[in-house]
Amino acid sequence: MNIVKWSRIKSPWIFHFNAGGCNGCDIEILAALNPRYDIERFGMILRGSPRHADVLLCTGTVTRQIHDRLKRIYDQVPEPKFVMAFGNCACSGGVFQKCYNVHEGVDKVVPVDMYVPGCPPRPQAIIDGAVKLLGKLSKS
Amino acid sequence: MVEMARENEIVESLRAKLGKDLIEAKLQKPRRVFVTVTSSALPSTVQFLRDSHDMKHVSTITGVDQGTEIGVYFHLMGARQNADSREIVLSLKATTPKTDPRLPSITATIPGAVLYEREVHDMFGVIFEGHPDLSPLIVPDGWPASLYPLRKECTIDFIKGEISKVQGGAK
Amino acid sequence: MSESTFTVPVGPQHPALKEPENLTFSVDGERVVDVKIRLGYVHRGGEKAFEVRNYNQGLYLVERICGICAMAHQLCYANNIEALHGIMVPRRADYIRTVIAELERIHSHLLWVGVAGHEIGWDTLFMYTWRDREVVLDLMELATGNRVLHATNAIGGVKRDLTPEMISKISKGMKHLEERVRYYAAMIPQEKTIMKRTVGVGILKPQDAVDLCAVGPTLRASGIKRDVRRDDPYSAYDETPFDVITHGGCDVASRVLVRVGELFESIKIVNYASEHLPSGPIRVKVPINVPAGENVSLVEAPRGEDIHYCKSNGTDKPERYKVRAPTLANWASMATMLRGGYVADIPIVLAAIDPCMSCTDRMAFTDVSANKQWYWTIEELRRYSANWHGK
Repeated sequence: MNIVKWSRIKSPWIFHFNAGGCNGCDIEILAALNPRYDIERFGMILRGSPRHADVLLCTGTVTRQIHDRLKRIYDQVPEPKFVMAFGNCACSGGVFQKCYNVHEGVDKVVPVDMYVPGCPPRPQAIIDGAVKLLGKLSKS
Repeated sequence: MVEMARENEIVESLRAKLGKDLIEAKLQKPRRVFVTVTSSALPSTVQFLRDSHDMKHVSTITGVDQGTEIGVYFHLMGARQNADSREIVLSLKATTPKTDPRLPSITATIPGAVLYEREVHDMFGVIFEGHPDLSPLIVPDGWPASLYPLRKECTIDFIKGEISKVQGGAK
Repeated sequence: MSESTFTVPVGPQHPALKEPENLTFSVDGERVVDVKIRLGYVHRGGEKAFEVRNYNQGLYLVERICGICAMAHQLCYANNIEALHGIMVPRRADYIRTVIAELERIHSHLLWVGVAGHEIGWDTLFMYTWRDREVVLDLMELATGNRVLHATNAIGGVKRDLTPEMISKISKGMKHLEERVRYYAAMIPQEKTIMKRTVGVGILKPQDAVDLCAVGPTLRASGIKRDVRRDDPYSAYDETPFDVITHGGCDVASRVLVRVGELFESIKIVNYASEHLPSGPIRVKVPINVPAGENVSLVEAPRGEDIHYCKSNGTDKPERYKVRAPTLANWASMATMLRGGYVADIPIVLAAIDPCMSCTDRMAFTDVSANKQWYWTIEELRRYSANWHGK
């Protein structure tokens, strides 16, 4: 295992992108940073720029307005990259299916590696999802 | 019979001031009044309600597709009798034909109406004459120009069809 | 005549900027000259969606307009449909709704104080307040089954009762939170870091706040005493003693202090309502079709006045459902608060209105004297701000 891959597994850097969600998912992601769940003890860190990220964590149903920006952000994340669709809206559109201004889920715009359903998913679900993703990383 | 003295007072003063320009008035229940006026009387009515009855707050503006017409409700709030009493919500309505929907803007009297008029313009196509800037507020960039999503003839499938003609590709 | 100094927020027109962003700023060196607002990024087409869903389905859609004020939106909706049915919900349901609504206000205000702390680089405050907030989320989960997005309202009442065991846990939780809020109330005005970054920042004069129809803590931080719970009472607020908190500073610091004051009031209301729960049923049944009519419903969500309008037509689906969430009501005031202020203060002024700006939201800038144009994400703006304030 080369050192870059080793460090990525030990400490995946995550970029959180809200693609038009209600913020229910976003506040549970932020709650995961806080003392009770503390995802940082797993080495997971939220970064401020997609260029430094390993994992693109998307919430929200992807509105038309944000479609291009999501594509651009995805392109900025260096390879190898992984995309996590967090929450029912990001997975499939959630309650906003059949609304005129949405794409029904992140995978309509960029490829998704991990789907975390829930409305919203609990903070434990991010940890669970990220750990499973690490498993995928170590196999890649 | 529930007491609605203040509500009644407001409606009677509007009747006296507007005459034929007051089309209909309904005291629905305490703190809820619905009044319909002609579109030309709209600005002076809002001004009168603000100055004589202390209704300075526009909570929002709602557009409704009524078939051949668009009804626009200006939901005003205020008319408190003293510092401790409650407020009244007066929904002031004017209608305009769908074929040429325009109403006078009330932003000169209550500037806080500025974003609500923009939203009704986005969703129904109503032009608010005198509004400083009716540029799109909530429809995304590249939205087809005469596509007004909340009009009844714009079904969700129709809207999606129109968008893909313009943008080609999005689901 | 009025002393207001606003100009209606039209903002700069800059055809050279290819991609109109949510916020387009004209600046002159370090100062904001003007700002234009465009809010397309979260528009999902929700109001159209109500027209093709029945009223029960609408209960779940309405919550997801904003996950932070979910209970408020759902309560406003339920009240609306109940009024169209011409029914009163059982009094016990009104009291339970009041308890849950105030628990939501507590969670939202703690969230907000934490986010505000994060904005000015004080992450300890963020960690403390969000840890305290977990106490509220535990109580929410106990009482409704979920931490966030509770779906506790039915049309006709509430879905779950509050048992004596739950009430006892709520009471303990409130005691703990009251201590914590006392700590924040004492600490925040003493903290030079916070005061330096918030006093005199983002000024909204009382006349402007009224003319621009501001709502909620933003309005009350400009000294205007308006609150739907008192001005147009619903649920159990007509019988629950509480004070409407205002502050005369008209700045971001006042918006912090109003929320801290409201935390104390919410704790009071939760205690009172849960201790005075009337006996009786928690729900009445209603038919799926709603008689034709129209109704306007208002609640005081944590961020301010929330107003819904419904036109029903005798079927199981609304003819028209309109929602004006509180944050939109404060965007018009935003331009006034930002104009004349420092570019470095943009993040905290924005956070004081709406913590829902995500990291990727970009803002367009044009420097009118240096003749430069650029885009910044909120992250890049925060970095500029931190450097400028010398942290």
